Amino acid sequence: MPEGYFGQYVTIGIFAIVGTVLVAATLQLSRLVRPNHPTTAKLTTYESGIDPIGHGWSQSNVRYYIFALLFVVFDVEAVFLFPWAIVFEELGTAAFVEMVIFIGILALALLYAVKKRVLEWL
Amino acid sequence: MSVAPGFYLVLAGLMFAIGVVGVLVRRNAIVIFMFVELMLNAVNLIFVTFARQQGTVDGQVLVFFVLVVAAAEVVVGLGIISLIFRYRVSSNVDEINLLKR
Amino acid sequence: MMELAQQVGATAAAVDWHAIAPELVLAATACIVLVADLFLPDDAKWLAMPLSAAGIIGTLAAIVSLIGAGNRLTLAGAFEVDGFALLFKGVFCVLGLLILAISFHYFRVGRYYQGEYYFLMLCSLLGGVVMSSARDLVTIFIAIELISIPGFIMAGLRKGDAKSNEAALKFFLFGVLSSAVMLYGMSLAYGATGELLLEGIRAKLTAADEPLIVLSVFFIVVGFAFKISAVPFHFWAPDTYEGSPSPVAAFLSTISKIGGFVGLIVLMFRAFPDVADTWRPIFALLAILTMTVGNMIALRQTHIIRLLAYSGIAQSGYVLVALALIEPGATASNEQAFQSAVIYLAIYGIMDAGAFAAAVAFARRGGSYFIEDYSGLWQRSPVLATLLAGFLISLAGTPPMAGFWAKVFVFLAAIEAQSYLLAIVMGLNAVVAAWYYLAVVKKMFFEKAELAEPVEVPAVLRVAMGLAAAALVAVFVYPRLVTELAERSLF
Repeated sequence: MPEGYFGQYVTIGIFAIVGTVLVAATLQLSRLVRPNHPTTAKLTTYESGIDPIGHGWSQSNVRYYIFALLFVVFDVEAVFLFPWAIVFEELGTAAFVEMVIFIGILALALLYAVKKRVLEWL
Repeated sequence: MSVAPGFYLVLAGLMFAIGVVGVLVRRNAIVIFMFVELMLNAVNLIFVTFARQQGTVDGQVLVFFVLVVAAAEVVVGLGIISLIFRYRVSSNVDEINLLKR
Repeated sequence: MMELAQQVGATAAAVDWHAIAPELVLAATACIVLVADLFLPDDAKWLAMPLSAAGIIGTLAAIVSLIGAGNRLTLAGAFEVDGFALLFKGVFCVLGLLILAISFHYFRVGRYYQGEYYFLMLCSLLGGVVMSSARDLVTIFIAIELISIPGFIMAGLRKGDAKSNEAALKFFLFGVLSSAVMLYGMSLAYGATGELLLEGIRAKLTAADEPLIVLSVFFIVVGFAFKISAVPFHFWAPDTYEGSPSPVAAFLSTISKIGGFVGLIVLMFRAFPDVADTWRPIFALLAILTMTVGNMIALRQTHIIRLLAYSGIAQSGYVLVALALIEPGATASNEQAFQSAVIYLAIYGIMDAGAFAAAVAFARRGGSYFIEDYSGLWQRSPVLATLLAGFLISLAGTPPMAGFWAKVFVFLAAIEAQSYLLAIVMGLNAVVAAWYYLAVVKKMFFEKAELAEPVEVPAVLRVAMGLAAAALVAVFVYPRLVTELAERSLF
């Protein structure tokens, strides 16, 4: 293995070349072996076996957004949990109670979402 | 290896300026909102830089709060925009002018 | 990592639970309202309103229990309970009750998401109550966002109405933009001093930071100027007020705006009073523009909510006049200006909420928001006409209502500080404003009604408006009621 700062780039270079060659070689190899009969059906976009309808910019169902929005809310609250977890031992019970209240309020939001049937997939 | 704080501040200033220009120039509500988020992130970068420079954590604590508030704004904002989209099929702010006199 | 733990641990002092009792009561009420709404049947959803009212009265009780308990500083200096905080907590709670009265029939008849509305309103109110006590940048930021974000949703509460959606979108875009600008200013102040506590910022400001501080103050003021709808950052306000449900417009025009002012006052007087030379000209310019433009556009309005919106913009201008009078060192005139701003905000809240209440009362059951339909209201409903006239006269600043003293105190403060230009502009604007307010009064009393049927006003609304008007008259007769409070609220 080459040594030194720039020597490490040589390692990266070797990896890049080997990677490219490997992929290109396998693709070429399979092209030599496989039969070649193009039809229009084969050239369409692969979408789990279903015929693709519309174009790539079609709208997603609005239900996905509700889950995304809920995720954003609950996900970001986690930033408060990490610092809390670090200092938890020093602060003791008071910090625990405070965090329980904090999570309790968030749980209320979840309760709200459940009661409003947001989480059911219609 | 460390970079002088000045560079971070310049970067943050540029981000903020890009955000302001974007808000003024772009007409799509979602894109405007993304530029506002860029401005908020510029502010976060400034707070973290200064906190690091001064060796205190309170600037970083404020960044937590900014992050959370920004998330709340995303949720409310996307809710409003999707509501408009449902009735207008457009999020171009120039077409939302019922109340203009 | 340990360093972080120690620093955070060092600041985790004991919490003064009594000092934050009003906030706790209000927050608990908000949670209870949200949960109660989930389990109430549809025809009992209106119970959320009495529940909220009980919560706000409980909050008021907690506030009263703090009177005379001296200044309390808790949460590592970020939260202070002093005369100023108590006064504005009280003002917010009273306004909250007024808004509840305005909302009750509107939302009950319209069946627009009642539980959610009261929950959001309480959250926003909580933001105002926290703002009164906020003494560091984090708390101020959280409070202003807590006021604003529920506001975005409330503005768009009539989901099927395109105008309501539009109101929400405009409010939202301007709101998030203003917070970003404000935060940028705060980050520069933090950079210059390394402090988030306002006292710390004030102590560590040095002449060397001058350019940074000027920029910081400029961005902070611009950010707040959006919130208090000062010209030239006012575009969203009339559209948002007209499009959102009217009780929400009343909320935005009183609690939300006063909340912005409280934050601005706390920042300017606690963090930047020694560099007042840098921000006085900004405020003077804003004040002159806001008063003049607001009044000029208000002259042409035919829609009562838009009239109140533009006149509310002009009213913000008068408070800005008081803030534009501060000079470092001139203690006596500074104190007078500060008190006049506090008095103006308190009285403005009551009279503006009252005017909105009257407009909502008139508009229900097929009434309208157009000023021409107010002609001859005296014959159709003498009580409503008298009350609305009272609030408009108060807004115009003429006797016998409290609005008179509000304007006089600001005017006297301007004379005391020898800012004759501001005093003259303010006087001229008061005359212009009186013109369009009194035009509505004249329409109600001296023109013939096109319809004969009486306008019935729900009892809750009548009581609320009556109490508000009585309070305004009482303050006019005995202004020491408010000057006393304002003196105690001096920093």
